[in-house]
Amino acid sequence: MAHRGSQATTLYLTALYMLVSCTAVPVNDLLDRASQRSDKLHSLSTSLTHELDSHFPPIGRMIMPRPSMCHTSSLQTPTDKEQALRVSESDLLSLARSLLQAWVDPLLLLSSSANSLPHPAHNSIYRKIQELQEYSKSLGDGLDILSGKMGPSSQYISLLPFRGSNDIGQDKTSRLVNFQFLLSCFRRDSHKIDSFLKVLRCRAAKMRPEMC
Amino acid sequence: MRRAVGVVYLNLHSFLFFHVLSLCLGYSPPGKPKLTSCRSPEKETFTCWWEPGSDGGLPTTYALYYRKENSDAVYECPDYHTAGENSCFFNKNDTSIWVNYNITVVATNALGSNFSDPVDVDVVYIVQPHTPENVTVTVMEDKDGPFLRVSWEPPRKADTRSGWITLIYELRVKLEGEEEWEEHRAGQQKMFNIFSLRSGGMYLVQVRCKPDHGFWSEWSSTTYIKVPDYFPRETSVWILIAVFSAFIFFILTWILNLKSNSVKHCLLPPVPGPKIKGFDKQLLKNGRSEEVFSALVVPGFPPTTSSDCEDLLVEYLEVYTPEEQELILEEGKDLQEGCLKSKGSPSDSDSGRGSCDSHTLLMEKCGEGEGKEEKHQERAQKGKRQQKHQTGWEEGDVSHTREDVLSPDMSEGRVKTWPSVFSPLPQYSSRPLDHQGSLETARQLCLSDSLFPPPSTSSHLSYNAKEGLALGSGQQEFYLGKKQTHPSNPQSQPRWHLQAHSDFNISSMDRKQAASGLQLPGFRSTEYVEVQRVNQEDMVILQPLFSSSCQRDGHLQIGQGEDYSKVKGVDSGNMLLLQREVEVKREEEDGDRYSCDIQDRVTESCYTTSTAASSQVTGKPTSCAGTAMPVQEEMVLAANGYVDAATMLL
Repeated sequence: MAHRGSQATTLYLTALYMLVSCTAVPVNDLLDRASQRSDKLHSLSTSLTHELDSHFPPIGRMIMPRPSMCHTSSLQTPTDKEQALRVSESDLLSLARSLLQAWVDPLLLLSSSANSLPHPAHNSIYRKIQELQEYSKSLGDGLDILSGKMGPSSQYISLLPFRGSNDIGQDKTSRLVNFQFLLSCFRRDSHKIDSFLKVLRCRAAKMRPEMC
Repeated sequence: MRRAVGVVYLNLHSFLFFHVLSLCLGYSPPGKPKLTSCRSPEKETFTCWWEPGSDGGLPTTYALYYRKENSDAVYECPDYHTAGENSCFFNKNDTSIWVNYNITVVATNALGSNFSDPVDVDVVYIVQPHTPENVTVTVMEDKDGPFLRVSWEPPRKADTRSGWITLIYELRVKLEGEEEWEEHRAGQQKMFNIFSLRSGGMYLVQVRCKPDHGFWSEWSSTTYIKVPDYFPRETSVWILIAVFSAFIFFILTWILNLKSNSVKHCLLPPVPGPKIKGFDKQLLKNGRSEEVFSALVVPGFPPTTSSDCEDLLVEYLEVYTPEEQELILEEGKDLQEGCLKSKGSPSDSDSGRGSCDSHTLLMEKCGEGEGKEEKHQERAQKGKRQQKHQTGWEEGDVSHTREDVLSPDMSEGRVKTWPSVFSPLPQYSSRPLDHQGSLETARQLCLSDSLFPPPSTSSHLSYNAKEGLALGSGQQEFYLGKKQTHPSNPQSQPRWHLQAHSDFNISSMDRKQAASGLQLPGFRSTEYVEVQRVNQEDMVILQPLFSSSCQRDGHLQIGQGEDYSKVKGVDSGNMLLLQREVEVKREEEDGDRYSCDIQDRVTESCYTTSTAASSQVTGKPTSCAGTAMPVQEEMVLAANGYVDAATMLL
């Protein structure tokens, strides 16, 4: 019995070790995957804004709020290259994760109001918003895994609550304007995330300089 | 007070005057400038270009003002010159990313200014790098042939090492003179291979790049590269195969040409033509069938017995019997020799080729109707009987009559009565003798006997005319000449003599009778028998020889004769017993009884009658008579093996 018990324990430990080792994807690989995901995210958002702009009322551009009005604008992010390159990897990751986290709720709002959007391409917009959500979710999970490998400071996520109302407006123009404004904010933030991750990728891929 | 008002009034007046003057002169304020584009090559600086409007005829200045999103401060373009005319260059210090710039251009001339529409610009969205640098194209060799290796470097200012900017590249290739470019996405790598080149072609290569989210750069300057001449391996292999196949093909054709005949023979076998000897195709084609078929008639066909003669190995059996038989044999032999001598036959009867020789002999005999002829068994038997009859007769005449036939053996003192018997036989041979004939002969003999009183002692000469000839008991010898071996026949000589005469008479009579009574067509009844073989039963199988003498009037019976006489054995009386079997077709005609046609079957009865020659011969042959003539069995082979197989046909 004791022999059998020791055997079982050994077996369990071996399996656990293998599981752990199997899941140990290298960081640079993870970053590569994350940056690819963020790249896709940004591309989607860019196409969304362009699609929305095709049938945007000109007056709407006039009353468009400023980008500083984005709910994530309070987050301090580097504004030029030197600043960005001075930020640590952990902070960069934290910023990325914070931004990503801040857009979970607004994306929900967008997806919910996309169908009723007074836009001829609202179906396509709706599908794209759903894709955005998927990518955002998977990226968030990947970044969570990454943060676990990169130190405790990367774990910190700045909360950026979305204080926007639950509906994007009452009339057609305001709805469109609000929708467009949200998408523009998301477009910038996704670009930030993508940039941060790509910087991180190049920093981690010292063995493969050809990647950067 | 008035003075101040006056000055103001004067200024206003001059100003208005100036403006009115300007307007009257056609000057106008500048047109509205327009910002055409703003671009950042490396996401660190950016440049904006505007398009000036009409200047209104007056010198117009342009100013660009910008405002950042999170402040209201308006700043003017720091650098109007670096980027050229109507441009504003923002250096690194003035560039902030992820910040919206609200840029406005103001055109100002003496009459006024004009503001352009404001443009919101975020630097990160307007990135357009410079063209890739150091584009190098080299020709590399591979096992499959040469290929182009294109390599380049990112634009100088783009910081890709830190990951600040990620560039993806694209290149395009075309042959000199073509219009369509062949584009290839190279991703983030800075090197690319181009395969499937045309040997000896001049290629043009261009490269451009794009940031991950930005605009494509301009194409780099064209790089020219010439591919050296080479021979494609695939083509060379195919050429080798083609040459080899052609070579094989030519060789096969040549061989086929050489062996065309045999190939033709194999594939298209020739139609066999008629192979009939004497067959003339031309005649047939001409349609003269009569001539064709007449040509088919070969003189030598059907084969005559001569051919059979050739085929058969002839061995002449010399049968010697003690005492009487020897005599008889000798007689036969003497006869034969005599015949030979008389006839002067060119061939040697004893040479083993006797059949042909005998044939000739037969021919001569048949033709001449004289000479010695070997008799059929029946005939011989008959002759024997005759001899018996003649024993008691005169011999002198016999000797006389038989001078020509007497053999040299006369010196031995033996009387060879047989020849005497034989001598008349040639006359008989002219026609077939059947039983009737024999009977007639017998009758004649009888008659002759009656003419001459038969000796009382000639009991042996008793015979039954109907039954046939009776032979003297044991009297199988004939003595010719002066000697008389049989005392029982004291009068044999005279009888013989008489008999000889009578024989002649008989023969003549017979002949007449035969001619009248018997429809004896044809001729010759003597046949030659040759020994075909000796079978296991110690039977000498004889075969009568058939020559053309067997020919009849229009009936060719030659060749049919499979007759052979078997020697049944030698009985106690030292007599050679022959058995004759004839399988020849029988003629329906009674008269047509040739030895060839004999279809006799030697029956036992017949045989016994002959064998009983030693004892009483009751003339059994007649009993055997049917249509098939029983063959007189008592045959004695001549010394040289001939057995007279006189055609004793029915």
